[in-house]
Amino acid sequence: MGRRIAIVEDEAAIRANYAEAMSRQGYDVVAYASRPEALEAFRTRLPDLAVIDIGLGDEPEGGFELCRALRAMSPRLPIIFLSAHDSDLDIVSGLRMGADDYLTKDVSLPHLMARIAALFRRADVASEPPDETEIIERGPLKLDTKRLTASWKGHIADLTLTEFWMVHTLGKFPGHVKDRDQLMHDAKLVVDEGTITSHIKRIRRKFLVLDETFDQIDTVYGMGYRWRA
Amino acid sequence: MSCRTLRTPFLCNPVIKKPTLFFSLSLRTKLALVALSLLALPWVGYRYVKEMERFLLEGQQQALLSTANAVATALHERPQLMRLSETRRPLTPEERAAALALSPGESVEMTPTEIARESAAIEEKAVAEVQAILRGLERSTSRIWVVNRELKLVALAGSLKRPTIDKTQEKTKDGEDKSEALPTRGWNALSNFILPRPVEDFDDAIQADVLANGSEVTKAMLGAPATRLRNSPDSRAVIASAAYPIWSHDTVVGAVVVEETTNSILSVRSHALERLLLVTLTVFALAAVLLLGFASRLSTRIRRLRDEAESAVDADGRLNNQLMRLVTASNSGDEIGDLSRSFSAVLQKLSQHHGYLESLAGRLSHELRTPIAVVRSSLENLRMNGVADNQLVYVERAEEGLLRLTKIFARMSEATRLEQSLQTEARENFDVAKVLQACVQGYMLAYPALIFEYSAPDQAINLYGSPDLIAQMLDKLVANAADFTRADRPIQIGLTVNEGCAELCVANQGPVLPEAIRDRLFDSMISERIDRSDAEPHLGLGLYIAKQIAVFHVGTISARNLPDSNGVMVVVSLPLTVSS
Repeated sequence: MGRRIAIVEDEAAIRANYAEAMSRQGYDVVAYASRPEALEAFRTRLPDLAVIDIGLGDEPEGGFELCRALRAMSPRLPIIFLSAHDSDLDIVSGLRMGADDYLTKDVSLPHLMARIAALFRRADVASEPPDETEIIERGPLKLDTKRLTASWKGHIADLTLTEFWMVHTLGKFPGHVKDRDQLMHDAKLVVDEGTITSHIKRIRRKFLVLDETFDQIDTVYGMGYRWRA
Repeated sequence: MSCRTLRTPFLCNPVIKKPTLFFSLSLRTKLALVALSLLALPWVGYRYVKEMERFLLEGQQQALLSTANAVATALHERPQLMRLSETRRPLTPEERAAALALSPGESVEMTPTEIARESAAIEEKAVAEVQAILRGLERSTSRIWVVNRELKLVALAGSLKRPTIDKTQEKTKDGEDKSEALPTRGWNALSNFILPRPVEDFDDAIQADVLANGSEVTKAMLGAPATRLRNSPDSRAVIASAAYPIWSHDTVVGAVVVEETTNSILSVRSHALERLLLVTLTVFALAAVLLLGFASRLSTRIRRLRDEAESAVDADGRLNNQLMRLVTASNSGDEIGDLSRSFSAVLQKLSQHHGYLESLAGRLSHELRTPIAVVRSSLENLRMNGVADNQLVYVERAEEGLLRLTKIFARMSEATRLEQSLQTEARENFDVAKVLQACVQGYMLAYPALIFEYSAPDQAINLYGSPDLIAQMLDKLVANAADFTRADRPIQIGLTVNEGCAELCVANQGPVLPEAIRDRLFDSMISERIDRSDAEPHLGLGLYIAKQIAVFHVGTISARNLPDSNGVMVVVSLPLTVSS
């Protein structure tokens, strides 16, 4: 049985294109144009993953509300925000709603597919015991590449998929400078450099919540970032 | 994207010149000038007092004439009284009889000596009689005299001068004056200076020509009562006189002249004028203070309104958000309050429009992002479905165009994002030299074809701000320099410390600054590229971002041509951290 993905997007062309691309990957796709319609359907049956646009028809923040409702129904369900808004404020509030990732509509279909696959994989292995071979340990940093989680000094950091991939790129080779292009490529993003800076800032903040003395991510001006060895 | 380009008309606004000095009288000065019209009031008062004085003089003259009339009535039909010894004319027997009060028909023959003695006696008697009559009519301040036909003075009574009691009274008054307060004395001195008071100390002699040429006497001699005003011989007082003829049968035998100084009227007049002066000066001073106060208040309010209106829009034509509502006079119901309210309304509309323009960028990129996503996802679906080789080229071209479009959006959102992040960016102390050094090493990797020269003092140069932003600014400056530099010449990046500021300088050799956009180089969406063949979109946002970051660090940014006009140098001046 194919996995079921729900797309909530008010733009018919995008909805159809995404749905088509996902069906081609073998997913079972249901598409909704508005929040009430989607909510109605979710009450009957929850999808395995939801891709939600923030502005839905005449509800400019309908996506946020839908996400909150969905999160209330299932705390584990992977949710991806897909929005034309790219301001930091929107991203932060979107992630605060409990979404697993926040993407702008610049994202290419292959990248989107990669994310969806990764999120499904993460959901699949969540219940399995950790496999030692999949864990990269760099001092206090532990990266579980299967579950796509990172922990610092034993505490799980609440990272989005994008953030995890960035931490993974940096932490895999401590001391190596990763430039923005590399980070962007590894995080499967097509964004401008300013967005990378915002992401790094958010990652630092999330680790600082776990450990006030966290100072592992260096900015190498003019080049990129580096995980301190 | 920033829509600040749309604000260029603001900057190009012609400066409204202040009118030349002659016409630029302040409101206060103008009101003071208008207040000068108040000066007509004392003039009107003066005219009124003058009129009153004339009226009083007329009254005085009429009174004098009545007195003269009364005296003359007593002297009518008594011609013997008017005959004086000086004439030495023997009296006619009738006259003598009349003079001696003899019964008619009684004849007395006399010798010439007898006659002379007798006539002298008669004269004396006549004079005494006239004097007696006059004494009966004598008044304190008037002088009455009687002249005969020959204009000889027959009798005189009274004095023009006031009794001495008045003088002593005045003296005691003077004595009191001296003990009075200085302002009062000063006021007295001033009013005496402006308004001469009548004096009692004048020459009251009756001059011959008064008798000979006095129009009133002459007229009286012709039988008509008359009045006249004349100066005293020393011109220190004005004397009003009235003459009334004395009749004997049908002939005028003499005249009664009653005269008086006009001093009483003059003192009334000067008193009135003094009061007028005092009142007008007081009223004038009060009015002036009031008007000036009012004008000051008006002009202060207007000036404050002007200052507020000016500061509501900053040098870049952006609205100052704190001043959306002008506080000046906003509660007052007068025209200035109205003006301030309409200013506020205009500013609010302007700010709404500004907000609309500023959000336009964000909304535009948002709105355009959706159709681009449609195109992108469609192209990608097309590719995934498999495209025929001969059609692939078109798909590739479309994707190429899409990529460029995406880059444009990335640039636009970079500027918008920067503006947003500047408001929340945390500041810290950092060594700008270290940041620069690291950046330059990065550029050597990023631009392998270019040569970089870096010079900085061998010490920490501390700034208070954001190292990320400084690096971003340098990125923009270097990207700009790299676009214009001659490939064989180095891009020079220098850091110096100058007067409490860190001066960061990026210089490249190549074309000089285009004159046309020189002043607007750091404005949004200003770009002048001759070579447009490269795929990178140029929106003219790089230097704009650099300027925003410089301003964030309370610094300045400027661009100028190199001294020998073979390149361009951008200098950013940033204040150093004040070491505690």
